[in-house]
Amino acid sequence: MRHYSTAYPLSWRIFDAVEALAKRVWPARFAPWLPYLLLLPALLVTGLLVIGLIEIADSSLHVLDKATFRSSESYSLENFERALTASLFRNIGLRSFLGAILVTAVTLVLAFPYAYVLVRTESPILRKLLLIVLFLPFFIGQVVRAYGWLIILGNEGILNTSLSFLGIGPFRLLFNYWAVLFGLVQTMIPFAVLMLAPALTAIPKETERAAESLGANWIRTFQYVVIPLARPGMVGAAIVVFTLTLTDFAIPAVLGGGSNDFIANAIYDQFFRTSDAGLGSALTLLLIIAGSAAVGVALLLVGIGTLGLAGHDDD
Amino acid sequence: MTGINQIARYKLSRRRFLEGATAAGSVAGISTLGLGQAWADEQPKPAEIVVRAWGGVWVESLKAGVSDPFTQMTGIAVRHDLTEDNEIQPKVWAAVDQGRVPPININWDTTINATKSALRGVTEDLSDLPNLANVLPVAKPEGLEGVPLVNVYAYVYVLAYRNEAFPSGAPTSWNDLLDPRFKGRVALYNDGIGMHAPAVVAGGGKLADIPANMQPAWDYFSKLKAQNPLLGEDPDFTAWFQKGEIDVACTISSNAREAKKNGIPVAWTVPKEGATLDTDCLWIPKGLPAADLYWTKQYVNYAIGQAGQQAWLGPLGLPGVVPGLTPPEDLVGDLSYPTTSDDLAKLLQVSPKIQVEHQSEWFAKFKEIMQG
Repeated sequence: MRHYSTAYPLSWRIFDAVEALAKRVWPARFAPWLPYLLLLPALLVTGLLVIGLIEIADSSLHVLDKATFRSSESYSLENFERALTASLFRNIGLRSFLGAILVTAVTLVLAFPYAYVLVRTESPILRKLLLIVLFLPFFIGQVVRAYGWLIILGNEGILNTSLSFLGIGPFRLLFNYWAVLFGLVQTMIPFAVLMLAPALTAIPKETERAAESLGANWIRTFQYVVIPLARPGMVGAAIVVFTLTLTDFAIPAVLGGGSNDFIANAIYDQFFRTSDAGLGSALTLLLIIAGSAAVGVALLLVGIGTLGLAGHDDD
Repeated sequence: MTGINQIARYKLSRRRFLEGATAAGSVAGISTLGLGQAWADEQPKPAEIVVRAWGGVWVESLKAGVSDPFTQMTGIAVRHDLTEDNEIQPKVWAAVDQGRVPPININWDTTINATKSALRGVTEDLSDLPNLANVLPVAKPEGLEGVPLVNVYAYVYVLAYRNEAFPSGAPTSWNDLLDPRFKGRVALYNDGIGMHAPAVVAGGGKLADIPANMQPAWDYFSKLKAQNPLLGEDPDFTAWFQKGEIDVACTISSNAREAKKNGIPVAWTVPKEGATLDTDCLWIPKGLPAADLYWTKQYVNYAIGQAGQQAWLGPLGLPGVVPGLTPPEDLVGDLSYPTTSDDLAKLLQVSPKIQVEHQSEWFAKFKEIMQG
């Protein structure tokens, strides 16, 4: 006679017990709520962020008392008034927004062919090489990369030294707005490629071949087939690059030479240099509002369905 | 006497101390710190104390001149936290406000920053330090209740320059920074510290105009902005001089001296308008356990004693707050190491109180001009 445990192994019994326990804790009638349960950890993390934002909002409504270096008890909009009217913050805000727009445009132009070749190449070696080049910067870190540019573009850097052999230069290539934008584009390209690659992968090769078989040349195929179908990836990449650029701190700090600050640098100054947490908080909130508004307007223009977030698209 | 000689001298005295300590036990070390024996015996020693410090030559000199001897004498390890002074401040403030033990025992800080902490009420009173009886008046802060911080040395924001840029001799005026040949080759601190007073004078005003009339400074900075200056921190200046990015800079004399020691061809001068004289200090945040506070105070006490000051400040080339310190040989007669009232008269001093009151406004104006 065979032993019971052989016919019904221990592991099966354990699983039965776990299943029974799960049914008690989470009965079948709760099944529709399961996705919401899985959302809970993310909601908790986001909730903590909201608590921080509430603290920042409260802080923004108190002016610094320079007799005690504490926030005043009374509420006022003085910090917002200062943040919105001071020419310093207006200049820095405009510089940041203009920079974010330029960097987003240039990054998309450069990242698109990279992503296209990455997903379409028949050569596994080339694909691996492109992937390595894509991921390498993530392991180096933004600050180190920025310092790398100091070595390459400095007055006595590799580029100027090479130019000196031709009898030209040295040129001041660092510590200006263009150097900041250049550093930001280099930083943002991997993010854009990672956002574009899945969208391009989703476009069947046959679609492009069909266009070509109908007489479209490579440019027209790209213009009328690839780019429209890659729109979700392009919009996603644009939003990610725009927001990351708008809030960047390290690249303007390192490559800007101290006179090309972005908003994050101005916020840092208020919190850590002048000890004015109220003004820093006001600038933080304005940055969040302005950045969110810009993204919101962009999504309104292209339609949220472009990102593939709507079940039945309206675009 | 050079800084190296001073260290050698210090090491000899420490060796003598250790010989004595071997014979008499750790009692000798405690006596050196100026503690009452009975009181010292009652205080349990922490495993370590944490001192916030600036990096590079700054922390090296503190370690060699104060921290290592303190550890030898007490057996308490000293850890140096190199978090930026501006960044540690909100952490300490938050810890004190929330009733937590602060992340550091001692903040080595600028007097301006420390004054803000004192006004906020997060600093321990240091008026019971025995060595305070022997220091110069400059060690004690003005306009604050008690002794919430102890100034430990003075320093001068000199005009540092590359020798090759001035073949016919040192620059004589801050207005030399406006020479078109230095376009893009001038460096200042990114918050303008050290330059406000010279800018007022170089812009046609007087020291007494500060803070009522800063317009000459803003005019001067506007002209300087046209030179596309680089704005940075201490390590940036050294790197920029080294890489040939700049020819002239307003920086602390210690940085220029250290760069020169490292083979970078720079020199420094105090121009005819004068140069800003400022102080750094040590302070202890509130919230330390009693025994930790006791031993932390002994560290500060040692740092303002004759031996500690000589060994710590010699390598930095900075004048301490104890009378009778021997200046480094290369700085004798140098205005960046003021020792007489005549020297001090040639330098520009703005009281910490005025600087604290107006820092935010001056900073914003400086940034507005430079970020324009």
